[in-house]
Amino acid sequence: MPGAGFESLRALIVEDNAHMRTLLRAVLNSAGIKLIAEAASGQAALAVLREHKSDLVLSDLAMKPMDGLEFTRRVRNDEHSPNPFVPIIMITGHTEKYRVQAARDAGVTEFLAKPITAHNLFARIAEIVERPRAFVRCDNYFGPDRRRHIQDDYSGPWRRRDDFQQDLDVR
Amino acid sequence: MKNSPKQQAQIIAPDAYPQMLSKPNAARAIETLRSAQTAANAQAAIAAQVPALRAAILEYVEALENAQGDMTIVFEKAHEIRGFAESAGLITTGRIADILCRYMDDMERIKKPLDTTLVALNVSAIGRAARAEGNDVAMGDAVAQELAALVAKRLADAGLG
Repeated sequence: MPGAGFESLRALIVEDNAHMRTLLRAVLNSAGIKLIAEAASGQAALAVLREHKSDLVLSDLAMKPMDGLEFTRRVRNDEHSPNPFVPIIMITGHTEKYRVQAARDAGVTEFLAKPITAHNLFARIAEIVERPRAFVRCDNYFGPDRRRHIQDDYSGPWRRRDDFQQDLDVR
Repeated sequence: MKNSPKQQAQIIAPDAYPQMLSKPNAARAIETLRSAQTAANAQAAIAAQVPALRAAILEYVEALENAQGDMTIVFEKAHEIRGFAESAGLITTGRIADILCRYMDDMERIKKPLDTTLVALNVSAIGRAARAEGNDVAMGDAVAQELAALVAKRLADAGLG
């Protein structure tokens, strides 16, 4: 049955381009996601988040007066954030490596390059549903675990409580 | 010396924070996301947006052509165009806009002046590709390749080989 599973999901689209908002809404609707709020900047989105519960956020990167990176940092780190764990999919045409890293370091959950396709957007949502990531809290970061793989040749400092157990498990 | 546990990070497992969907809904949602029906619905939903998207692209193209050397406007409009030209079926238009944005972004990053003739060539090609509508792929592929080669050469000249 089309739309099954998403009846109660509340999504928030943060995008300064009205055409892009309409396109994203149409694609989400086609999967049965109907409860959708919209905001045209990071600042407006923070206000929406305070007023309405959101289970999933799709955010553009380049917006004014507050861009998607600052919005993500506020959602993750603000002490009054209504849901610091909310999944955030960053959707942007800025796909340069340094920008992807900046988005990851801000705490985004998934990254999606424009132009968007329904297939790619659904794949990102499925990834969040099927493989929810652990969150990491340390001195300078709070957000989804940025390590998706264990590197056998990693030689940097180990800082996590479970690293030594993980070390034993791996070996 | 390696792997010394100095500053420990707290790990919060997925079961310890609220998930986007309950487990029963998650299984149904995955089925929905992967169903042929949903793919068909999405394709139809995007197709319904095409006329509005094309009209918007043409507005951005006009603004791009009227930017009169204001590179902030050129970048902003080209960036909007690359964002959804492909969704509007204007594949070559989006591709050339992407070439232009990457060039401008790279030159800005290394603080080198733009080749305004190269920018004008890209702007002109974006306009022609967007107005060629359904024929833009056949017409514009060679142009896009040549512009990409020109941009690559300018970036190499600027030290970004």
